[in-house]
Amino acid sequence: MTSSSEAVAPPAVELQGITKRFPGVVANSDINLVVRRGEVHAIVGENGAGKSTLMKTLYGMHRPDEGSVHVAGTEQHFKSPADAIAAGIGMVHQHFMLADNLTVLENIVLGSEPKSRGALDFGAARRKILEISAAYGLDLEPDTLVEDLGVGDRQRVEIAKVLYRGATTLILDEPTAVLVPQEVDELFGNLAELKGEGLTVIFISHKLDEVRKVADTITVIRRGTTVGTADPKTVTARQLAEMMVGTELPTPETRESTVTEDVVLGVEDLSVLLPTGRTVVDGVSFRVHRGEVVGIAGVEGNGQSELVEAIMGLQPLAGGRLTFGAEDMTSWTTRERRDGGVGFIPEDRHRQALLLDAALWENRILGNQTRPPARKGIFIDRGASRNSCKKIMKEYDVRAPGCDTLAVALSGGNQQKLIVGREMSGEPKLLIAAHPTRGVDVGAQAVIWELLKTARHDGLAIILISADLDELIGLSDTLYVMFRGKLVAQLDPGDVTPEQLGTHMTGAAA
Amino acid sequence: MRRTRGLSLAAALLVGSLTLAACAEDSSNTDPDEPGGGAAPTSEVSDVRVGLAFDVGGEGDKSFNDSAVAGLELAIEEFGITEQRVSPNDDGSNRAELLSQLAEQGFNPVIAVGFAYDEVIATVAADFPDTTFAQVDGSNAVFDGTSKGPNHTGLLFAEEQGSFLAGVAAALKSQTGTIGFVGGVEIGLIQKFEAGYVAGATAVNPDIVVDVQYISPAGDFSGFGDPARGKILAQGMYDGGADIVYHAAGGSGLGVFQAASESGTLAIGVDSDQYETIGDPALQEVIMTSMLKRVDVAVSEFISAFIDGTVEGGTDIIYDLSVDGVGLSTSGGQIDDIQADIDGFKQQIIDGEITVPTTP
Amino acid sequence: MNVVRRVGLALLAPAIALVVAAIISAFVILAIGEDPLVALRELVNFGDNSASQMQAVAVILNRAIPLFLAGLAVSIGFRMGLFNIGVEGQYRLATIMAAWVGTAVVLPRPVQLLLIIVVAMAVGAIWAGIAGILKVTRGVSEVISTIMLNFIAIGLASYLLTGPFRGTPEGSLTVATEDLPESGRLPGLNGVMASLGLAEPRSELYGFLIPAIVVGVLVAILVKRTRFGFDLKASGLNPTAATASGVNARAMVVKAMLLSGALAGLIGLPDLVGDTYHYGTEFTSGLGFLGIAVALLGRNNPLGIAFGALLFGFLDRAALSLQFAGIPSQVVTIIQGTIVLAVVIANEVARRIAIRQAERTGANLPTARPAAGEQQATVVQ
Repeated sequence: MTSSSEAVAPPAVELQGITKRFPGVVANSDINLVVRRGEVHAIVGENGAGKSTLMKTLYGMHRPDEGSVHVAGTEQHFKSPADAIAAGIGMVHQHFMLADNLTVLENIVLGSEPKSRGALDFGAARRKILEISAAYGLDLEPDTLVEDLGVGDRQRVEIAKVLYRGATTLILDEPTAVLVPQEVDELFGNLAELKGEGLTVIFISHKLDEVRKVADTITVIRRGTTVGTADPKTVTARQLAEMMVGTELPTPETRESTVTEDVVLGVEDLSVLLPTGRTVVDGVSFRVHRGEVVGIAGVEGNGQSELVEAIMGLQPLAGGRLTFGAEDMTSWTTRERRDGGVGFIPEDRHRQALLLDAALWENRILGNQTRPPARKGIFIDRGASRNSCKKIMKEYDVRAPGCDTLAVALSGGNQQKLIVGREMSGEPKLLIAAHPTRGVDVGAQAVIWELLKTARHDGLAIILISADLDELIGLSDTLYVMFRGKLVAQLDPGDVTPEQLGTHMTGAAA
Repeated sequence: MRRTRGLSLAAALLVGSLTLAACAEDSSNTDPDEPGGGAAPTSEVSDVRVGLAFDVGGEGDKSFNDSAVAGLELAIEEFGITEQRVSPNDDGSNRAELLSQLAEQGFNPVIAVGFAYDEVIATVAADFPDTTFAQVDGSNAVFDGTSKGPNHTGLLFAEEQGSFLAGVAAALKSQTGTIGFVGGVEIGLIQKFEAGYVAGATAVNPDIVVDVQYISPAGDFSGFGDPARGKILAQGMYDGGADIVYHAAGGSGLGVFQAASESGTLAIGVDSDQYETIGDPALQEVIMTSMLKRVDVAVSEFISAFIDGTVEGGTDIIYDLSVDGVGLSTSGGQIDDIQADIDGFKQQIIDGEITVPTTP
Repeated sequence: MNVVRRVGLALLAPAIALVVAAIISAFVILAIGEDPLVALRELVNFGDNSASQMQAVAVILNRAIPLFLAGLAVSIGFRMGLFNIGVEGQYRLATIMAAWVGTAVVLPRPVQLLLIIVVAMAVGAIWAGIAGILKVTRGVSEVISTIMLNFIAIGLASYLLTGPFRGTPEGSLTVATEDLPESGRLPGLNGVMASLGLAEPRSELYGFLIPAIVVGVLVAILVKRTRFGFDLKASGLNPTAATASGVNARAMVVKAMLLSGALAGLIGLPDLVGDTYHYGTEFTSGLGFLGIAVALLGRNNPLGIAFGALLFGFLDRAALSLQFAGIPSQVVTIIQGTIVLAVVIANEVARRIAIRQAERTGANLPTARPAAGEQQATVVQ
């Protein structure tokens, strides 16, 4: 599928058969990628498809278990980003790494300070930066403080930083995620300039229309492997979306409806403000019934995390009301909500759901400290907790040596199964599942889907947040799309396609 | 992870400070394993073994404590005795154990340097009735009227008398009519210095202004080892018009001298002849005189009395002006011109015509 | 699982650390021109008769009791990632308040002693609680606020001592509160030792040994067996996950500081009710800072802290014997610092090895293996 036949000069970057495993998970498997010199090459895929793992391999942040990396025809074994930089590869991170209290000039030279006979030579650096700025239309003012710059300007500083170090291939990780539309256009203008000067750009994104606008070649990654290359001039958004999410029908299907009339959770006009004053959840209202799975789709960063945290009582509300059954839950503490029957599978299990340095049985009771089997007066019933942990390990197929094993020893999938088992064993009335199968292997994914389906059948109300459109469409009874903090669409999972969903998620259909 | 890193950092800081504290203390620990009288060049070898207990961080202070060492060495020279010096741990919690072990191991007499031994010495003296104890700066009498025991002798100094003369000298030399006093810690002992100094100055010039400041309150002994704060206080006094400042602040006195040097004024040292011990010509210039406290004399005389069997016990020996136990140093010659006046006051005190107060 | 093996592995890291520290200390002693073997001999030489041996034991225990309490106080904060540097100020203020209340009333002995203990714990808790409240309401780092509160506490204690609580007359060189009445004094344990057929030490073994052990056991149960202890551990290991599990992080900070301060309040009591009977200018200071070292040595585990406190007591006793042998007592401070550093490094290394081992085991699953216990045992609890 590649166009390697026309490559006379060796490609700027060529990856062959890259496989990268983490304990229990294969993050990349048999990745093949050819990036020609002087092109903008987009790599698209869903969140968790393995794009960033791949880019970390290319940028020397870790080493692949299998496969080879060629840069300009030479095989490379990067041990660190420094090696990658030396080979002409630079990375512009999604989150800027700039020191606010230094000037543009100082930020750019930081770490590779120009020296002239042992002394700092800012004059030479200034000349070089102005040259770069003029050549690529970056429009930099070397003496401005970074804290006075806007987001788009900061991104250009990051790009200049990479160019200053002599990069000929630039990796941009989700560069448009933080930009407003005008800034996106400016960025694309800069990319065109870079391309015009013969530089190569690798552009990571999951926004299909942007990719089609700016890229010369598109490589699609799904579930850790490259599934194909497309020409943006001829490919349609629909075809691209099909490649991204897979053409096979969603497997986690749950057709016969178990939805009842009993409202378990009522969310009314809920709003959340960030400390900076930005509204991240904006007047959201919906209901979840007994036996219903409510799916919430959306590109990451559109307020889903904050919505979930608000329902769990982890985010202060700027407005709105929450009802749980017949009761008003708005002012309950997190513990009261949990004790009342709200289960929670957080999106980042290491950060929010596990004590990695503690034993499994201790992780078993985390969040259930106040309930049986853990509770025995003011004490923790260690025996009962251990037994319950063993039971969960058996029932939920958690593969670990025993309940005294540390959580850190488990693979992602087994950790997640333990979390799911723990939350289910509290017999919740409502389960909030944020990305319940993120980063787990296919086997564990199937187990977790099955668990959710069974629980739904038994009358559990579930809120499902996921970036996996198959999962959302397959499991949900009701599907909402969240965009910039608002629920912008309600779709019927019975007849929506991933492409239609994708269009809604980017806000294009609203 | 984060937590452990934090703890490691705390550990590193802690160890750093512990080690620094250890280094900062005395480096001049002579080898007491070698009995000083081993060679016994000048006299017969005595079988008397003297135990000398310093207070926290005292040994090597180039002043009060080392003055006691000088007395001990004088006694070694003279009588060929054996000696053992010990210091308590940093928080002074083992003072009692220290005296007990000296006594237990047969050191006799045992001399404790400093009033800090007040808390424990009576108990230890009672535990070891056959050992003779002496305490520099600590009275045999306890404030509730009891005695620390018949085998305890207090070696006391009439600091107020010496300080009176320092006050006389300061008042005579002052051009501005304002003088200062910097005390290390606001405790009874240092207040004696203040009382005598103010009385002496007022005796010369009833209108004189004496600016009195202490570095730290009672209970916080940092004031004896904080030259920076000593300097700030003294600087304030000089800026406020004082031209002579007397310090009774141990190691903090260095800051007083520095302040005097920077503002071109004068200062009065304490305990030993600081003109000699300071070792820095720039600071020597500003040391007009020092109020001497002859701890060396007291220690060597006590050992001598013990050897002679004339220690009375159960009482105090007071070193005052009449026996030159306190006085003013003359190194540098800055008070030579008023020596006659000073001697006049000294005689009046010895004769009892002037009674110097001991409390401000 | 094999208990002996588990305990053995748990002790291996500190044991190696002690050996390493001993070797480093030996080189230091050599470097200052003394004989490390002499130093070693003095360290373990408790005397040749049973009375002097028991005296050495009493000296070590009397020193270890306050250090143990100080280590416990610090460890409560450490368990949830709070640095209570203010233990020093908390116990100084608590001790003078307890000394004052103890002299102000005369009650039956058990009641009066209980009153003294309660006052000391309350004062310590309040003083530490200020830092906790500042942290949750104003975001002030507890490191900064407790250090500042130390200065205020020591100044306040000085003011109280020289002013309203002064028990010694004007002009006396040392200043102290009035002595506690008989009913406020806790008898020593020499009588008990004698009845056990042991030689009586010269110094009285503090009666506070018993309450200290009780407190240690209670704290051990609290942190290891109760829900509060679980919440404390969870908050320390992963604050975000603890919050998501329903732990009220702000309340936890305040509770941990209150408990830490209450324990800190006890530090001065062994001396107060067992030896000096008053708080004064010569009252032992610096125990709060030593408590940090002891807590680190004991890895925040009450039993470990007891060992750490005994080790410090043991080394401290030797500070005198070393001087009699002509070795500067500062050697002891160097040994203590070296041990703390070595133990902390060893613990961290052991922890990383355990985690790496655990990860390797995890990667090779799914077949279950019966080797899990030992990994847990070598990891910081």
